[in-house]
This record gives sequence, structure tokens and C-alpha cells, in this order.
Amino acid sequence: MAGSSSKSGGRGPSSSPLPHAVAPPSRPLRPSRYVPVSAATFFLVGSTTLFFCFTCPWLSERFSVAVPIYNGVIFLFVLANFCMATFMDPGIFPRAEEDEDKEDDFRAPLYKTVEIRGIQVRMKWCSTCRFYRPPRCSHCSVCDNCVEEFDHHCPWVNNCIGRRNYRYFFLFLLSLTAHIMAVFGFGLLFILYHRQSIDRLHAIVTLAVMCVAGLFFIPVAGLTGFHVVLVARGRTTNEQVTGKFRGGVNPFTNGCWKNVSHVLCSSQAPRYLGRKRCVQSVSVQPPFLRPQLTEAQLAAKILDNGIQGDLHRSKSSLEMMESQSCDAEAPPPPKPELRYPGITRENTEECSLLNKAPPTPTMYKYRPSYSPGKNHTALTHAYANQLSRGESTGSARDSSSSTSSLLQASQQPGFRSQPSLDRREAPADRAGGGPGADRREGGRESGGMPGYSLGGRSYPSFSDASVLSGGASRSSSSTHTSAGAAHVSEATTASASFKSLANQTPPPHRNGSLSYDNLLAGGDGLKDTAAPELSSGKPCAVVGGGFNTPFLSQPREVDLQSPHHHHHRSSHHHHPFLHRSSSSTSSSPPPPPERERLLVDPHLPPGPQSSGPAPQPAPHHHHHHHHHHHHHSHHHHSTSRPPRFAAPHAPPHHAYPYRTRSTDTPLGSASNTCQSSHSPHPPPLGKSLSYSSAAAAEMQYRLVRKASASAGANAAGAGGGGGMGGGAVQAPKDELIHMKRTNGDQPFSCSTPSSPSHPSPAHKPLGGSVKKVTGVGGTTYEISV
Amino acid sequence: MAETHSLQDLRQQAAVAAKVFIQRDYTNGTLCQFQTKFPSELETRIDKQQFEETVRTLNNLYAEAEKLGSQSYIEGCLACLTAYTIFLCMETHYEKVLKKIAKYIQEQNDKVYAPRGLLLTDPIERGLRVIEITIFEDRSLTQ
Repeated sequence: MAGSSSKSGGRGPSSSPLPHAVAPPSRPLRPSRYVPVSAATFFLVGSTTLFFCFTCPWLSERFSVAVPIYNGVIFLFVLANFCMATFMDPGIFPRAEEDEDKEDDFRAPLYKTVEIRGIQVRMKWCSTCRFYRPPRCSHCSVCDNCVEEFDHHCPWVNNCIGRRNYRYFFLFLLSLTAHIMAVFGFGLLFILYHRQSIDRLHAIVTLAVMCVAGLFFIPVAGLTGFHVVLVARGRTTNEQVTGKFRGGVNPFTNGCWKNVSHVLCSSQAPRYLGRKRCVQSVSVQPPFLRPQLTEAQLAAKILDNGIQGDLHRSKSSLEMMESQSCDAEAPPPPKPELRYPGITRENTEECSLLNKAPPTPTMYKYRPSYSPGKNHTALTHAYANQLSRGESTGSARDSSSSTSSLLQASQQPGFRSQPSLDRREAPADRAGGGPGADRREGGRESGGMPGYSLGGRSYPSFSDASVLSGGASRSSSSTHTSAGAAHVSEATTASASFKSLANQTPPPHRNGSLSYDNLLAGGDGLKDTAAPELSSGKPCAVVGGGFNTPFLSQPREVDLQSPHHHHHRSSHHHHPFLHRSSSSTSSSPPPPPERERLLVDPHLPPGPQSSGPAPQPAPHHHHHHHHHHHHHSHHHHSTSRPPRFAAPHAPPHHAYPYRTRSTDTPLGSASNTCQSSHSPHPPPLGKSLSYSSAAAAEMQYRLVRKASASAGANAAGAGGGGGMGGGAVQAPKDELIHMKRTNGDQPFSCSTPSSPSHPSPAHKPLGGSVKKVTGVGGTTYEISV
Repeated sequence: MAETHSLQDLRQQAAVAAKVFIQRDYTNGTLCQFQTKFPSELETRIDKQQFEETVRTLNNLYAEAEKLGSQSYIEGCLACLTAYTIFLCMETHYEKVLKKIAKYIQEQNDKVYAPRGLLLTDPIERGLRVIEITIFEDRSLTQ
């Protein structure tokens, strides 16, 4: 990004301003930023001045003095709002102080989910500002700040439009439209009365002013109308452009009237930067008061620590130990030791276990340095040219350059382990899918809300979360509640590495080592991601043995899953998916719809880049999407040769949902997969991809079922083929419905598995024609039909 | 003068043992509300009711600040009419309530939290994202 390179020099000072300091220190002067605002000012002031000088005198004489007064008032209003929009702090968040970040240690996830009025909303970790962005907050790459209720970055005022100055911006647009109309109208009146003396200077100037006014009227009026709609709907430009609420449910709206009154009549929000810091004049000295602990509390504490202590121990000593263990800096606390020094060390082993930090994969050991600017820049530089999406609007590029660079990073083979941040508001609130899933089935209604999903029902843009949640809820309800619970927690903690990655410059090989570490470190070492995998891996082994023996030994499953784990588009999203898929396969008859959803899921999410080892040539089963094809082919190879899923595969290249999908399918017989490759051929146009993928998934599922039932590969194959037709109808139904909702008015072709924000399709679609579709998230992708 | 006074305070202050961050509660949208969940780190330092009362009062104050009432409406109209020059002289409704909040926090610190070795930080300094509670080391008990 051009901006980032020129801003790099200023990254140091601007990356860590004191919270109560003035706005971030000066960045290098970039004259190109000031061109639009200068032009706007010039045209506005210049044209209006000419109007007042040449046109108004005659008008005031001919008609009334009210004409220039009216124009003057409106022009004053325009100027006032313009200045406020330009110079007012839009609601910049001060950078979080370092101690705030320590709470979210480097294992914290990249996303946190929060439920707003029943809808799951995702909060992303901002590596520059060091906090989880509040809902509706976004990081402006131009200004390098997180802005509250970020609307967009307006080049015409050279300022972000956010919570504090949106009102002025909106009024500026309204008044400017009125002003342009007035100028044009009165100018026209002047010309009509001066048709004979059109060659006079006054007439010529008025004509020129009218031209300028007429030229600017169209875009300004269009923008005004757009913002009127936004205000009425209670959305920001950022949300509208990225399609967050395409499915229809906006948690931030209070109804049209309340939205309008909130914009226009609410009290001016305070600024956060540049506040006078009040000095704390409170002196805090011990001795401190302590609350009275009840017996129950004491008992709970002791039992909680697994130590049978003396309940009659004096409270003061108990509290003393408590205070010592309050140090948040301490690693997993040696609490039991401190707390009950008098207790004999029968629990030495426990204590030592507690004291010892669990082995962590290499990835996690990177403590994010508190100079996000440097890392930010490094990432940007490294991957700036890989910018995928065609999002040209500055607002759409709200995510910091670090994010987009991360996205790029995530697209690199070495960064598969990161959640695919590249779908900026990428579909599926994956973490939300987890918690939401446990409550209810994945909803398929309003899909198109990246980052938002209804509580209990996920509304991912591409049915990811719905599939996940559907799968998650079912699987968790079936046999793997523990897995489900693990999933839930894991969903939120899955990307610990991602947050730390976000804060650093991850070397490309890291992902490879991560997957290795996952494999090698064992369940213990992978508290957040691998452990659930392993737990779910075990059950899979049981079922797997039924028909695809080499594949389903537990280590295999782990191998299969761990690389997938970290190479998904959005890691935590797919982790649950993996769980579900594995667990669903293990619990032999998961309900078909769930299975379908699980199976179709990988297709829906943004088609991951098929980076990584070159996909092997394989029978085409899905023409429509090249990615899909590659992945499937790859998986087929892997299924036929399970050993390949060992270490050599660990290196990232599985980012894609297809991978996970295929992990299910391999559970069917290899022959089935070959068969499946042939069946889903020629799909109806537009729906082809989804049908074919869903059909294949359904077929796979049926294969698995039949295989487990009949324990015969051939029978499964036959059953799979037979079930294909029926499955195909059923499987895509949900998917399509979901797709429909997801993409709103988009045709079904949108609902292809291609990633919504697939940046630049690395593969040419195999089909003849290529359809470009705008998916959720405002990105276009190609679908071959 | 004031600075030396505060420096003396700092020297006499107990050491900081930990910090707890009370996060925002977004269940009602972007209204400024904080979670009333009692953090476990404070279990031994302060009563749950006391803490919850503090946070609830703060929530009420913030709700009052953001209320779309007649005062804010009049303020908006006046600002419009004066081309926003009124902001140079007048304090907005929100700022007034923020002052009230600052006073309340100061008072709570003096009366409730400092005696217990805790310190509340005004969330406005953190961009209204968190309430920071500093837990001070309780040296006296260790001796």
C-alpha cells in the first residue's frame, strides 16, 4: 500500500502514543492526502464567492434581499459543518497501555465474540492499538487509528468519519446539496433573465458557476441519499459496504426514528485523546481492609485447589496468601504452595505440575512485542503487494494495513495457520459459531453477516457457522459434549497464535512448525487447539477403522486435523468444524442434514488459496471450482495414501475448507472417493457448484454411513452412488437457502465455495465461463459455470 | 506544588500487584455499560455488593450521559444555530456527566477502594473501553 510505505517513517512515534497524549504525533507529510480536501475547499468557496459577487447583486435587486441572505445562511451552514467534519476528532481510541494487553496473553484469540441483542458479533484484536476493537469500531489505515463507530475515511475532508463527527458530515452533505441546488437554481434564474446579454462577464461567470454546481450535484446528491438511507437503517458506511447486514439483522438499530434522532440529537460524544488527565490524589497504603470470607467461600477455595487444608486456618493468613497470589504477572500460579504453607507437601506432584508451564508449540512462545508499529510495517512491506482484495474504498480498507498484510500473510503458504482474515468481514463468525452452536442449530436465514451471527444461530455469510453450529450442536449433543465444550472454549481461544502473529512478523515457516508442534507436542502441549483435536481424534479412530483402516488410526486423525486446524481460513472456525466432522464421523449416524452441512461447509467459505504443495492431478469431480478441485484431488491422494498426512503434510497448505471436508470423505473408502469424483458432474448452471459440492458431500456421507453399516467398500460405493441423487437434492437445499440469504440478491452462483473475499484467484476455473460475483464482504470472486 | 504532593503520594503508595480490567457490556448495543460480573481477583479484597453497586452507578451515569433527552436536543439546535461556536463556551451534556462520573470515582476511591488497596481508574482515560482496577500489594500482612 502506498500509504503504508510513506507512513513507515512515522510508525515509531505514532505507534504508541500515551493514552492521554494529544493525537498521535505527526506523521510524515503526505501532500497527496491534501489534494481532495483542497480541491473541495477551493470549489466550494470559490464558486460560492463568485456566485455572491456576480449573481446575487442582481438577484437581490430584482427579487428580494432574502435571496442572498438565504444563500448566505446555507453557505455558512455548509462551511460550519465542513469544518467540524474536517477538524473534529472522529472518536479515536487511544492506544491501550501495555499492562492492559498482558491480560490477554499471547495465547488469546484474534477474535472475541460478544452477543449484542442476541446476535453474535465478533471483536477483532487490533495489533496496532492493542485492544479488541469494540463493536462498530474499525481501524483506519489512512489515519492509523481505531475509530469508534467508524463510518469511512472521507478524502474530501481528509478525516475519518466516526461517532463524533458523523452528524456534522451528514449535515454537511445535506446542506451542501441544498446549497448546490440553490446556487444552480438562482444561477439559472439569472441566465434566463439575461439571455440577451449572455456575453457579459456576469453571465459568463454565472454560467461557469452553474456548470460546477451541476457537475458536483450528481455525486453529492447521490452520497446524500445514500447516507440518508444509512441513517434511517442505523448502519455505517463500513457495514453497508462490507455487507455485514446483508442478511438483514442489524443489532445496532433502534428503529428509523430513534436512529435519526440518535444521529442528530444525541449529545456530543466526548473525545478520548487529549484529555486533561486528572491526577489521582488518593494515597493507597496498607493496612488494607478485607472483606469477611464466609465459611463457604473458604471451603470452596480449599476444595478448588484440590488441597485438603485446615479449614480452621486463620483467615488472616489465608488472605495473606491470597494477596501474594494476586500478582497477575506470575505464570500459572504456584497458588497452592503459597496459599497453604502449613499444609504438608503431599501434593508436591500436583504443585509441580501446576507450576510447570505446559509445553507450548513454537508459535505460542512469541510474546508480542510492544512495538506493533514495526511489526505492522514489516508485515505490510512484506505482503503489501499481495493485497488481495479489490476493495478500493478507503473505508473498506478500514482494517489496518497490518490486518490486510496479515491477510496477505495468511494467504501465503507459510501463514496458513492464521485465520483467514482476508475475508475482511469474512463470513462466519466462527467463534460465534461455536458458542452459538451449542445453543441451537445453525441458522440459515440471514447468512450474509460476516462477523455477525444470531445468538444460538450462526449467520455466517457462507453458511460456515451454520454448518459448524449445526454440526457443533449436533455433535456436541450426540457424543462429544466434551469436544463441544472444548470447541467452544477453543473457538474463542483458537487463534492464540494468531493474535501473537498479528502482533509480530511471523516467519513463513512458522506454520509448518506449528503443525509439527501440534503433532509432536501431544495433547498436553496444545491446550487450546490440539487438545480438542486429539480428543475428537480418538473417537474417529473407532469409526475409521471400519472402512479405511490406514486412515483412521488416531495419530492419523491428529495429523489430519492438526494441519487443518491451523490452516483454515479462520482457524477457530474450522477447528470446530474439524471437531465436528471427526466427531460426527465417529458417532456413526449423525443426522444427515448435519452431515450435509458439515460436508458442504467447506465449500461455502471463501475458497482458500490453493497454495502449498502443488495439488496432484486427480479426477475432476468438481469442475466448477478449481480450488475445490485441487483440494479434493489432494485429499484423495492423501486418503489413498494416508502416510502422506504425516509430517510432510504438516507444512501448511491446507488452509482450505476443502481440506477439512475431505478429511471426512476419506473416511469413506478410497474407491468411493474416486466414484464421487465422477458423479457430481454437470450441475445446473449457477447452482452447479453448490449442488455438485453438496452432492459430493452427501455422497461421501452416505458412503460413510453405508460403509460403516455394511463394512464393505463396494457396498458403500454403490450406496453412495445411489444416494447421490437424493442426497444432492437434500444437501444443497440448506446450503442454497443459506446461500440465498447470505448473498441477498445475489444469484446462486454466489453461493459457490469460492471464498468471498478471494483476492485474486490463483487458479483459473476449469469451466468455460467465469462468473464474477460479489460476495459477502464486498469482494468479488470468480465462479466457473 | 501539586506535583510534589502527588509524587510523595507515589512514594508512599503501596506497590502495584495486579490490574483487573472490567470490560464493556455490549449486550445492549454500543451504549456505554460495563460488566457487573465480579472478577475473581477481587474476591478477597472487596465485597461483591460494593463492587457491583459501584459499577451499576457508573452504568447509570453513562446511560444518563447518552440519553436522548430534551437537553441534548436543545443543545444540538443551539449548536446548529450558532454554527457550532457555542461549543467554545458551553460544556456539552456529556461532558457534564463525565465530570460527575469523575467525581464519583474519586469519591469511591477515597471512601471504599483505597482503604482496601484498590484503585479505580476513570474509564474515559481508556477510551471508555475498560474500567481499570489497580490492586495494590498488601505488604503489611506478609510481615
